[in-house]
Amino acid sequence: MSKYTEDDLREELETKEYEYGFYTDIESETFAKGLNEDVVRAISKKKNEPKWMTDWRLEAFRVWSKMEEPEWANVSYKKPEFQEIAYYSAPKQKPKLNNIDEVDPDLLATFEKLGISLEEQKRLANVAVDIVVDSVSVATTFKKTLGEKGIIFMPISEAIQEHPELVKKYLGTVVPTSDNFYAALNSAVFSDGSFCYIPKGVRCPMELSTYFRINEGGTGQFERTLVVADKGSFVSYLEGCTAPSRDENQLHAAVVELIALDDAEIKYSTVQNWYPGNNEGKGGVYNFVTKRGLCETNAKISWTQVETGSAITWKYPSCILKGNNSVGEFYSIAVTNNYQQADTGTKMIHLGKNTKSTIISKGISAGKSQNSYRGLVQINSRAENARNFSQCDSLLMGNKCGAHTFPYIEVKNKTAQVEHEATTSKIGEEQLFYCNQRGIDTEKAIALIVNGFSKEVLNKLPMEFAVEAQKLLEISLEGSVG
Amino acid sequence: MDLKEKIISSYVAFEDGVNINSDIHEIRTEAFQNFEKLGFPSKKLEAWKYTSLNTILKEDYSIFPDKEKSINLADVKQYFIHDIDTYKVIFIDGKYSSFLSETTHDSIDVCLMSSALTKAKYKPVIENYFNKIAKQDNLTSLNTAFSKEGAYIHIPKNTEVEKPIQIINFTTGTEAATMLQPRNLIVVEQNAHVQIIERHQSLTENAVLTNVVTEVYADRHSTVDFYKIQNDHISASLVDNTFIEQQSESVVSVHTFSFGGNITRNNLNFYQKGEHIDSILKGITIIEGKQHVDHHTLVHHIEPNCESHQDYKGIFDERATGVFNGKVIVEKEAQKTNAYQKNNNVLVSDKSTINAKPQLEIFADDVKCSHGCTIGQLDEEALFYMQQRGIGIKEARALLMYAFANTVLESVKIPEVKDRITRLIANKLNVNIGFNI
Amino acid sequence: MYLKSQANSINNMLKIENLKASVDNKSILKGLNLEVNAGEVHAIMGPNGAGKSTLANIIAGKEEYEVNQGTIELNGEDISELAPEERAHIGVFLSFQYPVEIPGVSVTNFIKTAINENRKAKGLEEMPAKNMLKMIREKSELLEIDRKFLSRSLNEGFSGGEKKRNEIFQMAMLEPKLAILDETDSGLDIDALRIVANGVNKLKSKDNAVIVITHYQRLLDYIVPDFVHVLHDGKIVKTGDASLALELEARGYDWIKEEMIS
Repeated sequence: MSKYTEDDLREELETKEYEYGFYTDIESETFAKGLNEDVVRAISKKKNEPKWMTDWRLEAFRVWSKMEEPEWANVSYKKPEFQEIAYYSAPKQKPKLNNIDEVDPDLLATFEKLGISLEEQKRLANVAVDIVVDSVSVATTFKKTLGEKGIIFMPISEAIQEHPELVKKYLGTVVPTSDNFYAALNSAVFSDGSFCYIPKGVRCPMELSTYFRINEGGTGQFERTLVVADKGSFVSYLEGCTAPSRDENQLHAAVVELIALDDAEIKYSTVQNWYPGNNEGKGGVYNFVTKRGLCETNAKISWTQVETGSAITWKYPSCILKGNNSVGEFYSIAVTNNYQQADTGTKMIHLGKNTKSTIISKGISAGKSQNSYRGLVQINSRAENARNFSQCDSLLMGNKCGAHTFPYIEVKNKTAQVEHEATTSKIGEEQLFYCNQRGIDTEKAIALIVNGFSKEVLNKLPMEFAVEAQKLLEISLEGSVG
Repeated sequence: MDLKEKIISSYVAFEDGVNINSDIHEIRTEAFQNFEKLGFPSKKLEAWKYTSLNTILKEDYSIFPDKEKSINLADVKQYFIHDIDTYKVIFIDGKYSSFLSETTHDSIDVCLMSSALTKAKYKPVIENYFNKIAKQDNLTSLNTAFSKEGAYIHIPKNTEVEKPIQIINFTTGTEAATMLQPRNLIVVEQNAHVQIIERHQSLTENAVLTNVVTEVYADRHSTVDFYKIQNDHISASLVDNTFIEQQSESVVSVHTFSFGGNITRNNLNFYQKGEHIDSILKGITIIEGKQHVDHHTLVHHIEPNCESHQDYKGIFDERATGVFNGKVIVEKEAQKTNAYQKNNNVLVSDKSTINAKPQLEIFADDVKCSHGCTIGQLDEEALFYMQQRGIGIKEARALLMYAFANTVLESVKIPEVKDRITRLIANKLNVNIGFNI
Repeated sequence: MYLKSQANSINNMLKIENLKASVDNKSILKGLNLEVNAGEVHAIMGPNGAGKSTLANIIAGKEEYEVNQGTIELNGEDISELAPEERAHIGVFLSFQYPVEIPGVSVTNFIKTAINENRKAKGLEEMPAKNMLKMIREKSELLEIDRKFLSRSLNEGFSGGEKKRNEIFQMAMLEPKLAILDETDSGLDIDALRIVANGVNKLKSKDNAVIVITHYQRLLDYIVPDFVHVLHDGKIVKTGDASLALELEARGYDWIKEEMIS
């Protein structure tokens, strides 16, 4: 018999196809390619936006036009041709839906294929879902249940119409339009995304969820998410992403802003498996995302992410710990395979007294991929008694990939306690033999060991996601052995 | 005229004093062009993100301190490790001082770079080793362009050098501001062993900027122990560029003790070109005032089965700033690498700052690499405990700090150096207690 | 010299014939013969470096050991070409001298996976959670294992005694046909030794067999062997009953070497 070795696994990984790679033929309305002020105006007009919003976009566009694409990340790729991208693509449908049954049946079938049947979710999972296909939110379930608690959860395009005062107050306060190249681009052209507001003292009774999917070829997806947790409230927010396989690179440049007011808590979880490109590194999503949260006094923001997809990932979910006693957390698993490149990590900016942050990052590299952790822990001079603990572990599979750690630690206060640890290891022959001896084959053993390696992060995911995430890890790294 | 311009326009004058038809001068001229292109590093460069040279580049440095100054041994004896017999290569304002030195050509060469660069008998070594591993970046190029003097050490194979070698650069302050470009070359052949102590010392409060480049070649199975003592005046700045190439089974350790100076930048680079190599990088930094010490290390693991051990301790008081940027690269051929890096810091005052960037770049899968970085304070409980037993707070702090830094001292192999460092630490911490209990 | 361990054996559980094996081209086993029948306990003793652990690892199928000659049969089937997990599936269990750590994988999760993989190989359904829990409860009681221990990461931060107890716990769960205990007594205090030995004794039946590899007689006070073999320089050079172990304890190994020469 032939033994299943790590080499076999590696080979299999390289031949493993993207499971979610199918294209749904939905009639959609797409803008011509290219970007200028008129396109920005047209997007704004299409969405029937008030003048302040149009102006805000135009300002962002002007800032963006003067900016240069950043080069500092440890990734190399062909720069997107920004004039070759269509900046708006919406599935044609009735403008507003009150009932899920009104959603295009093809679209619903897509969700079924993805294994996220809305009906199922509605009934079983107690999850309210806002689905963004390409650029437009198509369905928001559970609106009524949430409405009773005063929770607003809707496409941000609707929120601009229905709750302009809230959007205006918070949009761009954590990620300013001029923050970085992609954030500026997003601010100019974002077409939809989710808005969520949890009123004072309310504990959101269910997980809120957004599902992103890029469907149309040659389009960019620029969604904008804004979550505001008012004083003393709590919300757990889930975000999932997939894209069909295509040869050309698709651009995804999202912005997520979280605002946790005094005593509030936001838990934001992401499972991202955008199409990573084929095994020769062709195609795949460019994922350039700006995610940042602001914590007021006693507030807490916790980012959890499982990243298995995208050709290029550039993403640093961050926390600004402005209020005293605020807490920031970042738990991440990033898996790269084939030619994927990920440069991801977090920034913890400690401004308030007694602020605390925890960073647990687990990187798994296979194939010819490059996996980088880049993080900043900054303790400012007024941040008395700040605490940070960071742990970055890398697991390498094979000899053609790379794992990199770039932690920046800046401390200006003597009462700070900062601890950073990093390790790099591989799956040991001894571990595999031990598992084999107990009757567990090599493939299963690797799954078990990878799972153990990732445990501290998997444990932080909400139940519904943890199972999916574990499956994703196995899919990205294993495949089935006959 | 800014400093870069001044340096560039001084090059013709420098050429007056050297043989411009030599191979060496071609190397110099190429480096000169490189510096002309690159200029001084700015904070925009990732490698200089946390260290700005702007303030010290404003001084009007004299580039060729020409007056030969003599100094009395009694005045500078304290800067020597004088309680043991050593070879000494001593420079005053960049010029060799035969009076203070003790060189040798007896089976080993401990002498001057100026001889090595010009005399025929050194030519084979110079051709093989001079400017071969020094990185062609801005400040190294600047040094290469003006390379003329420094220490030249050549240890033939199977030689155990029986006494340590001290290299000391004194600046007398005859000029209001002095810039020095010392250039050292150390070649240690197979199975040889040498210990080196290096120091830069200004004797007045006048400004000094030393941009030193040292190249070290450690051949198979050789051992090099290098101790760098940095305890200079507040007006003296130092950029130390040290490049070390190791062959199989060699062990090279560099201990850097940074206790004083204005801006101190240590670029310490190790290249492992064989198997079963051990590279040891250790440092203690204790600074206060507005002093700034930046340790920028690189260990490049190129071949399999090698190790590296880094351990840097820093204590920062008042407005002092510490930087630790440690990079470990493990190439894909470098399987079975064990690379450890540790950086622990204590901030003593509200105004002190530490910036750390411990960086791993790993391309091989069968490796053990780890780094740990901590920033914290002294244990209040321990302090109180000691106070309760009658130990003064200052002494208690000093004891804890000494204990904190001690892991670095443990690997110092010359007892007199260890004693000296211990005394310097006591001095730094302003206590009069013996730590060696 | 070749001493047959067992007369009149027709259906040996384990039968090793003229086994020669090496690691990194260094010859370790030099023509080893061993026969073990169901219901028996065999002890293999010998000085350091005799090849005891090599033998255990080769039976379990560790890759870095190369079998140069000879056969290993389990219940009449040649297993020398089988992968380690396939050997496990047909009932080979090795209690490791140095059990490896697997961070993040709990004892429970690990044993659950192992049991279900073994069942899968036999074409059985996964064990229902209820039965699994019951079994874990019973077996952990047998080895006096604290429940909290079961949720810890496998072998991570375990004391020497905990590691060995965990090995025997897994043996109890997996119910192997042939259990090889490689230096299970090393690093155990007397209480732990008693618990471990007691566990092994309770698991013993007429259908399974145990090979105890040890340097010392101590463990054999508790697990009484039917046969004691002395392994020296890659061969079994002497076989006797339990009294041989006592003799070895008293006299050391040198006399065996002398006896061999004469």
